[in-house]
Amino acid sequence: VPAGGVSLRCCGTRVSLEGVNRPVIDRIIRVDHAGEYGANRIYAGQMAVLGRSSVGPLIQQMWNQEKDHLKKFDELMVAYRVRPTVLLPFWNVAGFVLGAASALLGKKGAMACTVAVEESISDHYNSQIRTLMEEDPEKYKELLQVIKQFRDDEREHHDIGLEHDAEGAPAYSVLKTAIQLGCKAAIFLSERI
Amino acid sequence: VRCQLCPPQHALQASAVLRRVSDEQKETFISSSQQQFSSHPTDHQSEQEPQGPRPSYTGQGGQESEDYESEEQLQHRILTAALEFVPEHGWTAEAIAEGAKTLGLSVAAAGMFHSDGSELILHFVSQCNTKLSELLEQEQKLVQLGEAEKKPTDQFLRDAVQARLRMLIPYIDKWPQALSILLLPHNIPSSLNLLTSMIDDIWHYAGDQSTDFNWYTRRAVLTGVYNTTELVMMQDSSPDFEDTWRFLENRVADAMSMGNTANQVQSTGEAVVQGLMGAAVTVSNAGTSRAVR
Repeated sequence: VPAGGVSLRCCGTRVSLEGVNRPVIDRIIRVDHAGEYGANRIYAGQMAVLGRSSVGPLIQQMWNQEKDHLKKFDELMVAYRVRPTVLLPFWNVAGFVLGAASALLGKKGAMACTVAVEESISDHYNSQIRTLMEEDPEKYKELLQVIKQFRDDEREHHDIGLEHDAEGAPAYSVLKTAIQLGCKAAIFLSERI
Repeated sequence: VRCQLCPPQHALQASAVLRRVSDEQKETFISSSQQQFSSHPTDHQSEQEPQGPRPSYTGQGGQESEDYESEEQLQHRILTAALEFVPEHGWTAEAIAEGAKTLGLSVAAAGMFHSDGSELILHFVSQCNTKLSELLEQEQKLVQLGEAEKKPTDQFLRDAVQARLRMLIPYIDKWPQALSILLLPHNIPSSLNLLTSMIDDIWHYAGDQSTDFNWYTRRAVLTGVYNTTELVMMQDSSPDFEDTWRFLENRVADAMSMGNTANQVQSTGEAVVQGLMGAAVTVSNAGTSRAVR
């Protein structure tokens, strides 16, 4: 099979798979889908603990945006015929546990977790944008638009976290480093498995 | 004139042998873009002159207009021609040699391939999968145009698997041999790849849009159905394989009910949890009201 792009006809959607760099796009969509799924579960965990506190509505709002992101990636996944990562059940539990654990450290702990995760995600989206721009900005215009928009949303969440005194959390720098290390590992695995 | 192809080379290592047919030579040489088999002995001299290293994987789309034939295309033609001889010779180098002969090539052409017939089988499987995809694509178009009813999932899966298995019928006597060759360690990556992409295709056209772990469960289940039905087919001697299709129907029905059972288990589980929570709340209320009194 020529490596340049397999001719596939995609049924039911408008995306044409002609000439698409399958390996690259597969990875991008798979890992982004996993990321949004994980973020959803993190906010769910945080809401379970802090849902009735003063930051409840704020977390709920950020969670709703993540739900929209996930829905968009669900659509893209079907359109580009990408398989989801096998590790989804694992991210399901791990995300919820991370969210709940960080929320148990208090509101600042939850905000710190948000800052760490959102920073990881927006860096990751940035490198994907670079990759796609290097590949072919025209061909991947829609995907680029989506990723840019989501990157901006995640940056906003990051800033909200900082505004709500994330840095005041107990052991902030240790917490942040640990969470970001976990995110890097999750990204590495979800791209491949 | 004996055609001397380059000494037996493994397909992957060979540099492409491109045949450039210039206009002056068109009368003597048969253009590769035309699928005409010629017994003209002089038309393969150019294969002895590989034109220096060329990429083997040139796009197959615009090839005809430039009258190039890549090595890959040549191999495809030989293998397709060889299929005709499989019922007689099995999936072997003899069949490939016979196929090469019908194309006017020397039997040494079989040296381009593995001696165990692996490439012939993989080529056949790949061809069948492509035919299946085209069939499913056609059906889908008809449904989209409103000319056909959308089939329920179980019927769709049954029909797709049956259509694919029917492609084995002309080669059914030699198919057990093919299956065992496909299970050889060096063939497993390719055969697994072909199997998974075929199953994925079937689910895609069946309208599967799952993006969670169901994606895997569905494909695993269908793979199981396909493989077991294939094995049953090998041993089936009923007229037109009706026993096989009945077996298939039962397996697909099992698969569907498995899905329903999973849903039921989940909702029962949720109901039980709710019941327990309610009981806990009632008990704690009873406790507090007794304490208040």
